Amino acid sequence: MSDVRNNRREAGGSSVITANRLLDGRIVWQVAEGDWSTIIADARIIPNADIEAAIAQAAARQQADGLVGIYGVQVETDATPPVPVTVRERIRAFGPSVHPDFTPVAELEAHA
Amino acid sequence: MPDTIQAPALPVGHYGYDQVDRAFLADRVEQFRDQVARRIAGTLSEDEFKPLRLMNGLYLQLHAYMLRIAIPYGVLDSRQMRELAHIARTYDRDYGHFTTRQNLQFNWIRLEDTPDILARLADVDMHAIQTSGNCIRNVTCDQFAGAAQDELVDPRVHAEILRQWSTLHPEFTFLPRKFKIAISGSPNDRVAARFHDIGLVAKPAPDGGTMFDVFVGGGMGRTPIVGVHLRDDLPEEDLLAYLEAMVRVYNEYGRRDNIYKARIKILVQALGTEGYRAKVDAEFAAMNRARYRLPPETVAAIRARFGTPDLHAPDDAAEQLARARRADPAFDRWVRTNTHPHRAPGHISAVISLKPAGGIPGDATSAQMDIIADLADRHAFGEIRVTHMQNLVLGHVRQDELHALWQALRAADLASANIGLIGDIIACPGLDYCSLANARSIPIAQKLSARFASPELQETIGPIEIKISGCINACGHHHAGHIGILGVDKKGEEFFQLTLGGSPGSDASVGQILGPALPEDATVDAIARLVDAYLVHRTGGERFLDTYRRLGAALFKDAVYATA
Ligand code: HEM
Ligand code: SF4
Repeated sequence: MSDVRNNRREAGGSSVITANRLLDGRIVWQVAEGDWSTIIADARIIPNADIEAAIAQAAARQQADGLVGIYGVQVETDATPPVPVTVRERIRAFGPSVHPDFTPVAELEAHA
Repeated sequence: MPDTIQAPALPVGHYGYDQVDRAFLADRVEQFRDQVARRIAGTLSEDEFKPLRLMNGLYLQLHAYMLRIAIPYGVLDSRQMRELAHIARTYDRDYGHFTTRQNLQFNWIRLEDTPDILARLADVDMHAIQTSGNCIRNVTCDQFAGAAQDELVDPRVHAEILRQWSTLHPEFTFLPRKFKIAISGSPNDRVAARFHDIGLVAKPAPDGGTMFDVFVGGGMGRTPIVGVHLRDDLPEEDLLAYLEAMVRVYNEYGRRDNIYKARIKILVQALGTEGYRAKVDAEFAAMNRARYRLPPETVAAIRARFGTPDLHAPDDAAEQLARARRADPAFDRWVRTNTHPHRAPGHISAVISLKPAGGIPGDATSAQMDIIADLADRHAFGEIRVTHMQNLVLGHVRQDELHALWQALRAADLASANIGLIGDIIACPGLDYCSLANARSIPIAQKLSARFASPELQETIGPIEIKISGCINACGHHHAGHIGILGVDKKGEEFFQLTLGGSPGSDASVGQILGPALPEDATVDAIARLVDAYLVHRTGGERFLDTYRRLGAALFKDAVYATA
């Protein structure tokens, strides 16, 4: 994605990788190469120095993995599980603020 | 008389499809089914597929795919509403969102399901064509068309003619930018005609036919502009020829080099009203007018495919309504705020507010959609209208049945008495759903409507339009709000800029920025102080807008920034 908001990255920070699933459009976070989760807490945290290479690697197999729009999201330094630094990405990670019942975690539990 | 009205052969209020229309839609669905299959198989890349899905109203938004369904001139019938409820229940999360462009959006759609959804829509003569892309979009229309006492001409037949003319017009599928037309038949502008690429107002011609006022070059977005008046005497038979000339001039001279300068409003400003008019007149004079002539027979043929309501009310309908109002103050208040005078004796138009206090403006659950469809069958010839204020209207209700309608609406949490008042807020989806957003719109609307929930307080404050957009694209019409709220992004956090003095109506104006943007947690309080300042300074029956226009921004600025 070319959106500048997704490319604000501080040198010393770290990021996670995100995308939308092709089939249903839902948001996922990269757990490991080829492995994605709807829950940001599962995501692997990558130092910003390595993030571009990791994104390129993920993008290379996006059709095989059934994904669109892969990009990196900077997260708060000390937060575990990871919390994105922008409101936009927090809403992507935790669901629309106006529907608390639609958070990815609530969804997972509903289907468990 | 039976208490439910049988659905007539032709739908009341909108055009009834024929076999040709249906075959066309069926083809489009199968074409898209094939495209989706090829995308999933990987033979179409995302870059190749994106324009194809957008042509079918399918966007990829923040959390999922969003499907935007066209509701031509904002009119749908009960059968269509039930199908939308069914789709919400089966394929989405049990609700839909009615928009300022009189369309419906589903926010949680799966790509895989979309061909089936489009097929279901086609079964009830609906689609998602012309809801995206640089084409002539769904034509919007007065929500009280064909019913309002102040209406001179029912504009829906002409809206349908424009729909047919623009649908897949070979020349106009790739305009420099999207193109939005609104049409009204009342001198009281309820369609924001002056904020559209083209705004039309139909009125009777001296010869007994119909003619049009034409506005051009209005718009919101990054460069808000009130449209200019191009002419006031366009004869019906030249409607298509003249619009064709208007759009051709735009197609030829409109800028394609810069997306922010591509709308017709920029061209009209660059050429000046006279310059643009001269080019249109030259094109009009040179074109094959016979080819685009709209003869009365064609208009009559289209009109014949509209069902007409059989408006008969008991002689004492008005008296029955008056009695019910005296007996029930809450009903009386709702009638004051949520109805509009009807042209036929014993009838009235009822507005169903989709703005409950603390709720999400424009959202309706599938259960509510089903209830509204049933009520439309029972009380309004099965016809439902969507308003650009994100509410619904039952156009033709008998006055003696209005109390029963209100009771049923109240039981479904659909009877908020707030139309035109501070609780009747337009809000775009904003950052909760929209991938272009800077800030959330809906929570601000929710906090405001909860804060001003009291119907007494709302009536005391009087008519006031608050409109909220999550970014400068202005889908929430903030430029035309008496109070406009625009979400801006400062280093990843949400801020809100206030504009005052906008108006969408016959007195159209663009709101002016009041001062620096406010943090999210200060915005609602600031607006409450602004409203207080108005209550202190208003005189007589002034609306908020009148007080602002009389006194200017200074006192409101003091109120907002005093403690901020
Ligand atoms: C959530 C997905 C949406 C996206 C991606 C989107 C995108 C846009 C964009 C890019 C523009 C600016 C176009 C321009 O100035 O050339 C725009 C304008 C507009 N949109 Fe949306 N929009 C969305 C939802 C909505 C909704 C829900 C509504 C109705 C509530 C709406 C109604 C409008 C209106 C009225 C305008 C202003 C037209 C003008 O500039 O004159 N949009 N939209
Ligand atoms: S105004 Fe901006 S945030 Fe709101 S729906 Fe339109 S594009 Fe999205």
